Amino acid sequence: MAVFIQQVVNGLAQGGIYALIAIGWTTVFGIVGVMNWTHGEVYMLGAYIGYFLTSYAGLPMIPSLLLSMGGGALIAMLVDQIGYVPLRKRGTLAKSGFITALGLSTFLRYSANAAFTANPRAYPKLMNYQPIALFSIGGTQITINSLHLIILIGTVIIMIALQMFFTKTIIGKAMLAGSQDMNTLALMGADSERLIKVTFAISGALGAAAGFFMGMLYMIFPTMGALAGLKGWACAILGGIGSITGSLVGGVLIGIAETLTSGFISTGYKDAISFVIMILVLLIKPTGLMGYTFEEKV
Amino acid sequence: MELLKVENLDVYYGNIHALKDMSLTVNEGEIVSLIGANGAGKSTLMQAIMHQISAKSGTVLLNGKNVLTQKTYMIVKEGMTLVPEGRHVFPRTSVQDNLLLGAYYRKDRAGIREDLERIYEMFPRLKERRRQLAGTLSGGEQQMLATARALMSRPKMLLLDEPSMGLAPIIVDQIFDTIVRINKEGTTILLVEQNANQALRIANRGYVLETGEKTLEDDADKLLANEQVKAAYLGA
Repeated sequence: MAVFIQQVVNGLAQGGIYALIAIGWTTVFGIVGVMNWTHGEVYMLGAYIGYFLTSYAGLPMIPSLLLSMGGGALIAMLVDQIGYVPLRKRGTLAKSGFITALGLSTFLRYSANAAFTANPRAYPKLMNYQPIALFSIGGTQITINSLHLIILIGTVIIMIALQMFFTKTIIGKAMLAGSQDMNTLALMGADSERLIKVTFAISGALGAAAGFFMGMLYMIFPTMGALAGLKGWACAILGGIGSITGSLVGGVLIGIAETLTSGFISTGYKDAISFVIMILVLLIKPTGLMGYTFEEKV
Repeated sequence: MELLKVENLDVYYGNIHALKDMSLTVNEGEIVSLIGANGAGKSTLMQAIMHQISAKSGTVLLNGKNVLTQKTYMIVKEGMTLVPEGRHVFPRTSVQDNLLLGAYYRKDRAGIREDLERIYEMFPRLKERRRQLAGTLSGGEQQMLATARALMSRPKMLLLDEPSMGLAPIIVDQIFDTIVRINKEGTTILLVEQNANQALRIANRGYVLETGEKTLEDDADKLLANEQVKAAYLGA
């Protein structure tokens, strides 16, 4: 039992990172209607920006995190400008957005491979890593790694800020409304192009934050975004596409499921488990865990 | 004074000529009703005026300024908006946030507060339900909300597309009363309706559309008395 609880705790930080990736996916998909496959690459580039800032510029953790989030936001806006704006102008985003996204994603991934080389790199030690005792079960002490704790706190702060943005500001409310009905939002005097820019910026900042946290945990490499992007999408689907809370739940569930799989079954199945869960959930509840139940009223 | 003037508007859906050489005017302070059967092009005209669909040729003058090629959100800023057919409230957003989104482009916080109070006075039902998600409202309440939301942008010119569609007769009466009241408070209205009888009764003037063409235009009371109109649209 204690081992089980320990694995759950170990999975939390990873789950938070997946949730950050998933929210970036789901906001862009909900508002712009494109499966933005470059999201995994923005995550990877965020990890690299963080790496260069911490190891070469020697910046401390928080400024590096914020700067890499800013960098991620810029890259995502640039991707939109180069890749999707021309398609939106011609009204062909729905048809060809998917393949443009895949192409851009591959381009970014292998450009990074050429620029940074394929060698994995490790972040410098940004703080003292030590286990912190949480509570004990049957005489066994349950601990959380201080690094995991920091990542978890960082994730929670970002989530709260995001929640405030979506529920308290008019731009945030408009983005949620736009994900329901962009044409009608224009009748309120809202410029959809501007909202889409903000959406990409937020998505990019979240992806880069996830990449930064991942870099604090593991080695980074140019193709790291491929699997992480796919898993983030799985978490978003699992939680219910378009739902931010759903992405959070989906991310944490899959993070925990992965550590449990490595701990009790085999690390070999770790990467498969998220997709198995996603497929099972979709068979039972096609809208995902927190998918909307409103019928579209035409 | 002509607030809205549409001249020689042509709209195509692919090869289908949906709106043919359409012209109409709405003077400041008027209620003008557009009547016609399903598929006559009434909604197409509304959407073309708001540039939700693109017209092939023609002009749309709002206060003398051609807005035909302006983007929809810019037209709203110029003082004209549309309550679309089927209401289109944001179902997963609260009633109050729906209303606040109506004032999206406005910067005058105090004015927005004031308008919100005024709207709640006008529609007490919406005030009671302001925290509910709009998707949980009844059809009549959603129509009220969609109309109130449009008013939050302080339009001079308000387009209403089929506001009575799918509603119970008693609710329809309330909707028409509301339209008259909004008009009395200074908003000019262009109304599209299948319910020709009630639409003409509250209107100053009316237009009859058939298969994308304007076939009649006159004062509303004359249209109500017109034998052709009676036979085709008033069920008399």
